Amino acid sequence: MSGSHAAAPPPISRVSSGRMGMALFLFGDAVTFTLLIVGHLYLRRHAPQGAPHLDLSGTLVFSVLLWASSGTLWAAERLRDVPRVSGVLYALTGLLGLTFVAGTLQEWLQLVQAGYGVSSTLFFTGYYTLTGLHALHVLLGALALLVLAALRFRDRLGWRRRGVTDALGLYWHFVDAVWVLLFLLLYVWRGP
Amino acid sequence: MTASPTRTRTRLRGAASLLASTDHKVIGLLYLALGSLYFLIGGLEALVMRVQLAAPGNAVLTGETYNAFFTLHGTTMIFLAVMPMLLGFSNYLLPLQIGARDMAFPRLNAFGFWITALGGLLLYLSLLEGPPSAGWFAYAPLSERPFSMSLGTDFWAAALIFMGTGSTLTAINLIVTTLRYRAPGMGLWMMPMFSWMAFVNSVIIVFAMPALNAALVMLEVDRALGGHNFAHGGSALLWQHYFWFFGHPEVYIMILPAWGLISEVIPVYARKPIFGYEFVAGSTLAIAVLSFAVYAHHMFAVGLSRPVNLAFAASTMLIAIPTGIKVLNWVATLWRGSIRFETPMLYALAFLVQFTLGGVTGVSFAVLPIDWQVTDTYYVVAHFHYVLMGGTLFALLSGLHHYYPKMTGRLLGDTLGKAAFWLITLGFNGVFLVQHALGLMGMPRRVYTYPDLPGWGALNRVSTVSAFVMGAGLVLVLVNLVVSRQLGRVAGDNPWRAWTLEWATSSPPPAGNFTRLPPVKSRRPLWDLAHPEDPDHRRPARHDRTHGHIRPEEQEHPR
Ligand code: HEM
Ligand SMILES: [Cu+2]
Repeated sequence: MSGSHAAAPPPISRVSSGRMGMALFLFGDAVTFTLLIVGHLYLRRHAPQGAPHLDLSGTLVFSVLLWASSGTLWAAERLRDVPRVSGVLYALTGLLGLTFVAGTLQEWLQLVQAGYGVSSTLFFTGYYTLTGLHALHVLLGALALLVLAALRFRDRLGWRRRGVTDALGLYWHFVDAVWVLLFLLLYVWRGP
Repeated sequence: MTASPTRTRTRLRGAASLLASTDHKVIGLLYLALGSLYFLIGGLEALVMRVQLAAPGNAVLTGETYNAFFTLHGTTMIFLAVMPMLLGFSNYLLPLQIGARDMAFPRLNAFGFWITALGGLLLYLSLLEGPPSAGWFAYAPLSERPFSMSLGTDFWAAALIFMGTGSTLTAINLIVTTLRYRAPGMGLWMMPMFSWMAFVNSVIIVFAMPALNAALVMLEVDRALGGHNFAHGGSALLWQHYFWFFGHPEVYIMILPAWGLISEVIPVYARKPIFGYEFVAGSTLAIAVLSFAVYAHHMFAVGLSRPVNLAFAASTMLIAIPTGIKVLNWVATLWRGSIRFETPMLYALAFLVQFTLGGVTGVSFAVLPIDWQVTDTYYVVAHFHYVLMGGTLFALLSGLHHYYPKMTGRLLGDTLGKAAFWLITLGFNGVFLVQHALGLMGMPRRVYTYPDLPGWGALNRVSTVSAFVMGAGLVLVLVNLVVSRQLGRVAGDNPWRAWTLEWATSSPPPAGNFTRLPPVKSRRPLWDLAHPEDPDHRRPARHDRTHGHIRPEEQEHPR
């Protein structure tokens, strides 16, 4: 067709569609987390018992593993074109994420056994809501990363999938950053 | 008549490929079909409610059933009728108007549609368990376990999360498409008005829907896991804050694309470029910001502090300014235009009148004492139906009549179209105009029946009878849509002689939309193409002089 050039104008901006779309999604996600946090803080004023029953040092261990996964993902992105190495790094990132989820589950189990469930206090209602939503984010991201690793090993991660890796990278760093905030808020800070 | 087996098979395969399609036009049409289906359901629910309200002390429905009906009606109309229809138009039109082949993420687009459809299914599956009956706003603690025991409310919440996800994904898709796939030469400020408003609208969706999601997550934590967010030490007001932080922008989510359609229709049938493009576009941005800043005007009566009330009253009055600017610009576009009273234009004119009335009653709520007096009366019901139905739905019908030839290649029947228009317009005003009076007389909303006070019975009867008149009109529209598909006059590419890109391609457009794009140098590329001697962009001085005034060449009826 003579005019086919005109019919498919090249994208105007340089940022990949995937990254742009994910950034928009994360803006929205940030609104969800912000409102849940604000609601939790508002209700916590009526929950003076605060956060005494949480295992700060135990949680710190698997939190550090999660934050480390931002590093392995960064390395995987840098070495994206070296199939074996980046495949291993993607897989490692996903596995670190799964370890974190396992850590969260185990902590929940201990808390519930000690008698602190969702319905026990206002603090714990918010605690489970926030950690639960966050763990869900980590779980989904980790599974996606394992898929990515599999694609990488089979050499099916050509430049056409640039948008996918861009998007997933952004997502993962965002989820890790949210955990910094939640960790400080739920485990470290004893107010209000 | 029996079709041969091969014919049936090709038909089936055709239907299957339709359902599996990722073409933005097909998805747009699917959205429109979904919206129409649910509009029919929501409309029938409304008629049943009106029958119950036709006479004082009526007993067609029990109180509990009435609550279920009006919860389903509100939820259906907002999330399953109006939003899908608007997103359908955005899906169909935006890539065409900006000269793109498709959306940025075609498969995500299809996913967005199907997840919305699934949400609709979930909402109505709740009927098996006992439907939700806490209103579409689901005020806590009414929506909490002790007061809504059945699973209906859980179905409702799940349905909303699904539909909200669908519209968020679609909105993200629309934004990326707009930012990355515009035709060469088309700046953001050169986009057709509908695309501009669909774009800004998508930004609002991306920020508003997550608030609803947060509220729904908290509600479900309460309902399913025994949390205390909104009851038992939690705060019922928190629900209202979060719900309306989503809910008020939602109103603008429903009206912005409608305004976009009106801004496409009026210039074409007045034969003038839209007056004050910059103002119409710019005021949209102001509204996007303000729509979040006014949300607590839904809570004037819950006893927030005086400064808070005053701040929200002020912001509410403020938002009337950009809205008023738009109305003035539409009127100025009509002013000394060469008006053709085709059916789309009739709907647009009715929109102008009705939307303005709805806007005026809206501003009246910003006056705190008036709000305290009339809140939760039929005055509110009249107001929001004037905006949502008299505004949004009329704009949708206007757009539907305007774009039907583009979508199908055929014109809608004119006589049938005009008959339907008059039935709908007379019916609509008959239903809701009298409700202003009922509200001022003190008739509360959200009640299944009312005492036989002077005038109440008669006015309600007017309302109910008119509802059936309007219903008849809407059925005629449906008949027209179906019949004209086969029998309508063949439309050609550009039956209304419009100037934007979507009219440059064939009707209906081929896969990939354009075989060649005309050059885009101004807001009206097809005018430039038709008048190489006097393009919009070549003679800015002349353009300024004619801007907002009719050009001799465009005169439909020589003066
Ligand atoms: C077909 C014409 C329509 C009729 C006859 C109608 C009638 C009604 C009636 C009788 C109620 C119950 C009022 C109450 O008891 O408080 C109601 C509520 C409602 N309607 Fe409609 N309606 C129509 C169209 C629409 C449309 C197009 C929308 C738009 C999105 C809509 C949105 C709503 C909502 C949100 C409510 C809930 C009101 C509340 O919060 O109390 N309706 N309608
Ligand atoms: Cu509002």
